[in-house]
Amino acid sequence: MKKKKILTFGQAINEALDQAMSRDKSVFVFGQGVDKTGHVFHSTEGLLKKYKKKRIFDTPNSEQAETMLALGASLNGKLRPVLIHHRVDFMAYTFDQLVNWISLWSFKSSKKSYAPLVIRAIIGRGWGQGPQHAKTLHTMFSYLPGLRVVMPSSPSEAKGMMLSSIASNDPVIFLEYRALYNTKELVPTERFYIDLDQPRLRLKGNSLTLVAAGTSVLTSLKAAEILYKEKKIKIDLFDLRSISKMNLKKIIESVKKTKRLVLVEDGWKNFGYSSEIITQIVENKIKLAEAPQRICWPNSHVPMSAPLEKDFYFDEHDIVKACKKVLKEKLIHSN
Amino acid sequence: MQFSIQKEIYKNLSLIRKTQEEIIKRYHPADKMRCPMHFCVGQEIMPAVLGPLMIDEDSIYSHHRSHGYYIAKKGSINEMIAEFYGKETGSNGGLAGSQELSSTKIDFYSGTILSGAFAMALGGAFEKKYNQKKGIGISVIGDGGMEEGIVYESLNMATQMNLPILYICENNSYSTHTTLKQRTLENKPSNRVKNFNMKTTYFDGNDPDKLFNLMKSIVKKIRDTKKPHFVEINTYRFNGHVGPEGDDHFNYRSKKEINHWIKNDPIKFYEKKLFSKSRKLLALKKKINDKNFKIIDRAFRFAEKSKFPKRYENNNFKATYKNVKKFYNNSISFGTVQEDHKPKPY
Ligand SMILES: Cc1ncc(C[n+]2csc(CCOP(=O)(O)OP(=O)(O)O)c2C)c(N)n1
Repeated sequence: MKKKKILTFGQAINEALDQAMSRDKSVFVFGQGVDKTGHVFHSTEGLLKKYKKKRIFDTPNSEQAETMLALGASLNGKLRPVLIHHRVDFMAYTFDQLVNWISLWSFKSSKKSYAPLVIRAIIGRGWGQGPQHAKTLHTMFSYLPGLRVVMPSSPSEAKGMMLSSIASNDPVIFLEYRALYNTKELVPTERFYIDLDQPRLRLKGNSLTLVAAGTSVLTSLKAAEILYKEKKIKIDLFDLRSISKMNLKKIIESVKKTKRLVLVEDGWKNFGYSSEIITQIVENKIKLAEAPQRICWPNSHVPMSAPLEKDFYFDEHDIVKACKKVLKEKLIHSN
Repeated sequence: MQFSIQKEIYKNLSLIRKTQEEIIKRYHPADKMRCPMHFCVGQEIMPAVLGPLMIDEDSIYSHHRSHGYYIAKKGSINEMIAEFYGKETGSNGGLAGSQELSSTKIDFYSGTILSGAFAMALGGAFEKKYNQKKGIGISVIGDGGMEEGIVYESLNMATQMNLPILYICENNSYSTHTTLKQRTLENKPSNRVKNFNMKTTYFDGNDPDKLFNLMKSIVKKIRDTKKPHFVEINTYRFNGHVGPEGDDHFNYRSKKEINHWIKNDPIKFYEKKLFSKSRKLLALKKKINDKNFKIIDRAFRFAEKSKFPKRYENNNFKATYKNVKKFYNNSISFGTVQEDHKPKPY
């Protein structure tokens, strides 16, 4: 048994950054206020003391220039920058840098040049963050060829995925749901790497296939627990990990077996990964027993007000309801 | 001035101009170079004098009018023409064309989205400082590009972080067909830059020797102090904004203005200064130009012979990792059930 330690999501990222920086002198961390006070939800704590100003530093409020600094510094792996934005919403300023420079960097050089940079961005979701601080733009980024867009769902996942993202020779957008920072898990203490392209089977079962990513994995785990307690139903629960490079092989196999599909996405319903997965299931001519269910955010901006916000986000009970819907027939038979 | 350096500057001037004249000549009706091109005929002086001042460790981040800087950095003419043909032997493997001409071999990168490359120099210069290299970042922009917001973010960060960058603004008074005066009330971009506490220099003239001496001291200072410096040069493009076709039939600039600049062409000025005094010198000039022509002509034959790339879609991702021997085994569970989160205020 490998050594493990209980860490929060923020501590796990901190450990990953520390282990990457101590192994590889080309890794550096920067962004607005990243070396100070809150330390980005404790994820950069202690790094300044250990690695000094040269390798972790604050910047002016200039997201566009910061992003191009990361690109220029990363060229052909000369350095491995980790740029941090406290909210993913701030990245809207850097749309040009992502669309016209970073995403096509490898392509337009025919792979002679590459840009191994990591952009960490936090999705505010919850506690009145409102329309300008709670968006998740994961599908917007994933639409672009050439970007790896990943969303970890737990402390262990965050650590392994952060180490892989830094080691990856592609540009990675690493999206962190703020709601996950206080979650805890036993995390391997060693330096370990997660294959960003492979979804992880979190739970095994035969009755239906559920796909989630980021926070929605945690909510889905809770829903699965309820389903088991109430009806002894076991499900295949997949954590997508990567949004832009979804490898759906195992998910397709699972759907072939269960014939039932539920997609859970902390993001808008239109054009989400949920839509993409359903498309691919249809393209693969897989006949479903029931119409697939999508549990997503309404196609509306996020309200700040507490009761409206509560209404806006789904919870485990909404997922349970959707699961029961696709299981309709089965439940009748087993009752 | 050493004659050997003057010869090199002249060789650059002539190679940059001749290459472009040949491209313009051979563009139609063959139509084998099927990409937009921004020629810099008339604007060769700055890249030409930088040629002898650059070292291999320097990198260039250029705007769309980039051919001169690519050539001055000793980029392969074969690969440049092959790139314009869209062939796999091109500097970018044939996937980018003139607008985004780049070469890792000479650390030269350009792009046609205004001002992005200008900002990229921050990263290049940062890397050189971080890894204690001698090189500097050279960032080239036009007067039009100087109107984008990212420029001012970059200038601020360059001074605040003390980055060794040579900024060059080629002020040719036009953004496509819109004059500088129509776009801004401050028609010297370098004046705006002063406010960032950055050293600035304005150059107006057609004597390459004068520009060389000026740039020599500026480049040395950037290497020594690791601080940025901004140079604005007053210049003029003889050709149209884009493509081999001229655009003067739109009458967006006056004949008088065009003729003034053509009369003061730095290349004509330099030829007179260097080679008019004897037959032997005239023969030397011919020798340099013949050699340049051979380089260019050979490049066209190289491009013609080369093949088109077979695939493109596999170039979007490098799909490799540094130092990773194996991935974590997915079937091993990470441990206890993840504990729930308790929402906390910001
Ligand atoms: C972001 C962006 N906006 C507009 C354009 C269209 N455009 C291409 S070149 C150009 C003129 C730029 O003028 P300047 O920077 O002075 O360079 P010059 O062409 O004169 O060398 C414009 C507006 C562009 N390429 N990118």
